[in-house]
Amino acid sequence: MSSRLSARSLRLVVRTFSELCITVGALIVLFVAYVLLWTGVKAADAAEGEIETLHSRWAQEPAALSPGPSSAPSPAPYRDGKPFATLHIPRFGADWEWPVLENTEARTLQKGLGHYSGTARPGETGNFAVAGHRRTYGDPFKDFPRLRPGDAVIVNDGTTWFTYRIAKEPYRTVPTDTAVVDPVPRRSGFEGPGRYLTLTTCEPEWGSSHRLIAWAHLDATRPVSEGKPPDLTG
Amino acid sequence: MYGWIWRHLPGNAWVRGVIALVLVLAVVYALFQYVFPWAEPLLPFGEVTVDGASAGGAGAGQ
Repeated sequence: MSSRLSARSLRLVVRTFSELCITVGALIVLFVAYVLLWTGVKAADAAEGEIETLHSRWAQEPAALSPGPSSAPSPAPYRDGKPFATLHIPRFGADWEWPVLENTEARTLQKGLGHYSGTARPGETGNFAVAGHRRTYGDPFKDFPRLRPGDAVIVNDGTTWFTYRIAKEPYRTVPTDTAVVDPVPRRSGFEGPGRYLTLTTCEPEWGSSHRLIAWAHLDATRPVSEGKPPDLTG
Repeated sequence: MYGWIWRHLPGNAWVRGVIALVLVLAVVYALFQYVFPWAEPLLPFGEVTVDGASAGGAGAGQ
């Protein structure tokens, strides 16, 4: 009698335990699918929406009246978490286009690239610094290590195409090294003030122990009315 | 656990199957909509900024 009872309760324990294991396994598989696939779907959707927002805003604004990077006396400040430009890097693909949003908070970086608040605007003297995901949320900077000197990084702020050129191969540093986004970034090889651009992402690919940095300097500007710059069309 | 749920669902086997499917979909929806977005920032993939102030980096916590 008691042996039958204990056999039954043992079976219950084993069955419950195995059901728990299966449940945890299913949860892990679902979470991996969420991180690898679903964040990408969400980010692509969000980025597309941000770019559409930009295009409709640019279509409404009398942008054509004030071409050129510095003709406006004092441009309106960028609004937190809102897009203000698109970034194009032909090295990452001919149709690689991501919106640049103001600030680098986690929620901003889920919708596109983030502009370090307080750093320069595109085309300004100083350092236009941008952060982006290397993995998850659409993997915008997946191919970051493939950047080479001379590669074009192109910014469109609605009035002007700014073509920057990568200065050197990506530089690996620690997360606290904020001098890499200084107006004259340390270790970039740039000397003296200039119109620079900095890209940052995580290193290693799936880790957070380091950061990967790429620097570029402004090479050419072109009013939007004159069409895409040669690096995007050729 | 699952046997207990199955026994407590109403109706015949077909009705129970449909209810069980709806329950599973509801759980998956809740996970993708609420639980995973909360858990994902705990992973290190979001730390893409240089930030001297906080150890986690601006991309991590907020």
